[in-house]
Amino acid sequence: MLRVLAGNRLGLVGTVVIGVVVIVALLAPVLATHDPEEVNLAGKLQAPNREHLMGTDQSGRDVFSRVLWGTRVSLMVGVLAVVLGLLGGVTIGTIAGYYGGSLLEQVLVRSMDALSSIPLLIWAIAVVGIIGVAPIRLGPLEFPNETKVILLTGVLYIPAIARVTHAVVLVESASDYVRARRAQGASDLEIMGGEILRNCISPLTVQATLFVAIGIIVEASLSFIGLGVQPPKPSWGTMLADARGYVFSGEWWLPVFPGLAISVTVIGFNLLGDGLRDLLDPRKATTQQMV
Amino acid sequence: MVRFVARRVLFSVVVLVAASAVIFVLTRLVPGSPALILLGPEAKAEQVQDLERRLGLDRPLAVQYARWISDVVLHGDFGRSYISGLPITSEILRTLPITVEIVLLAFVFCLVVAVPLGIVSALYEDGLIDHVARIVAIAGVSVPGFWLGLMLIVCGAVHLGWFPPGGYTPLSMGLGAHLQSLVLPAFSLGIYYTAIISRMTRSSLVEVLRQDYIRTARALGLSRTRIVAYALKNALIPVVSVAAMSVGYMFGWAIIIEQVFNIAGLSRSLLSALFQRDYYMVQAVVLVITIVFVGANLAAEILYRALNPRVRGTA
Repeated sequence: MLRVLAGNRLGLVGTVVIGVVVIVALLAPVLATHDPEEVNLAGKLQAPNREHLMGTDQSGRDVFSRVLWGTRVSLMVGVLAVVLGLLGGVTIGTIAGYYGGSLLEQVLVRSMDALSSIPLLIWAIAVVGIIGVAPIRLGPLEFPNETKVILLTGVLYIPAIARVTHAVVLVESASDYVRARRAQGASDLEIMGGEILRNCISPLTVQATLFVAIGIIVEASLSFIGLGVQPPKPSWGTMLADARGYVFSGEWWLPVFPGLAISVTVIGFNLLGDGLRDLLDPRKATTQQMV
Repeated sequence: MVRFVARRVLFSVVVLVAASAVIFVLTRLVPGSPALILLGPEAKAEQVQDLERRLGLDRPLAVQYARWISDVVLHGDFGRSYISGLPITSEILRTLPITVEIVLLAFVFCLVVAVPLGIVSALYEDGLIDHVARIVAIAGVSVPGFWLGLMLIVCGAVHLGWFPPGGYTPLSMGLGAHLQSLVLPAFSLGIYYTAIISRMTRSSLVEVLRQDYIRTARALGLSRTRIVAYALKNALIPVVSVAAMSVGYMFGWAIIIEQVFNIAGLSRSLLSALFQRDYYMVQAVVLVITIVFVGANLAAEILYRALNPRVRGTA
């Protein structure tokens, strides 16, 4: 697959960008030059220099190290939300497609329609705002506010993923192959898990890649208005929220670097998604998703 | 067609009833009664109970919901904010037009740029413009609008001084100043949808231009302009429907963009209500935006059906 991708220049660029971003996320503790949460009020608002490659913020924290660490939470939210969307969407889409023509299918399709006709960005803002940004405690475990962002973004993806899966499963379950397997006495679960889901992989890979990009933007936007990642944890969105107060006084490095980090990462996923669509999904089963 | 419209309208109403019930219940499930928030932590239990009775908060949830929703539907009355004591409807009527204006400006900008760009990209497929447009479109869906807004403030307002650095100048201060204060927010909001609609116009037109009837028209010697005009008539059908949907999505993102530009539109109503725990206000704003969004989706479906002769007749 890598060799084919190499033929697609933009897709290749996307793969390289994502590779770099993933490496940065993994090696953040090694690559960072400072502790991202270390406050140094004496050295605040320094322009980029040799000691602080991207300058320092209003509390004297090193912007470069914060941008590097911010990669982690962005990727984590982006990927986990898609995983959640895939779990929900594939399950619902497969059931609806496999029991095509039944009342169950009708109900599932209608509820997916209803879910996608709700403005989920606003609902995410309202829900997080109402239940609050405090961590969720489940016994000894403590889940930070990002968990809510992941759950709500995951729900946002379910209808589109269910629709793609549903369409593929409808076609596949009418195929001669599946009918033959059924005649052989294979169980529903065996058939669904095997041949049918294998045919969903191509369109879903494309959709999932594009969704990671959307998830990263949603997380950054929620963090920007104070409802995503909570300070002092470094994240690109909260860094931009802090930078909002300094746009007039000329500290350009505060908004520039976190924003570039978001843009480059998201461009990477979008380029890869586009490249994969050309390769894997010539029938264009993937829908252009708007958010 | 009539049956189709009736069915979709009914579906939208069901979605709205469900959504309004969910947001209503959600605001009531949070610990901390509004009465307690109003009276402060030192309030005595009897005081809280008394206020709850006066606000009708001691009734069963279903009764409270029925009262709220019937006031909204029958009188357009969202009740009073229990923080400020002012009617919520008049607050929304004050902030909603600002948001609507930004969204409409963004929408016009988006159509004026995206559709011609998509057409040119399709007519000169794989030409220079097409490649540049593809790269610009990828950037357009990738660069977050709120960051673009921040950077535009830094460059266009602080450094060049062409635009005000934020805030909303009402029309009464002059049309020029008014529009100037809306250009950057509308641009930051519209760029994502410009990217999507231009690529969609392109792919739709490319597909139509490959159809047999276009080849026939060409063989018959029709002029290129005429052929493109015929092709556009079909190619723009899905574009119209996506454009209608994008209006709904823009309302959501407008909340974030208004925050960047410090504009007191619906976003101010929603976010300050959330931070003050003014839940009557929250449920009102969420319901208003949901109505706009569901309406935009409904319009998209009906337009698609009405414009597309292939599916027009089917129920």
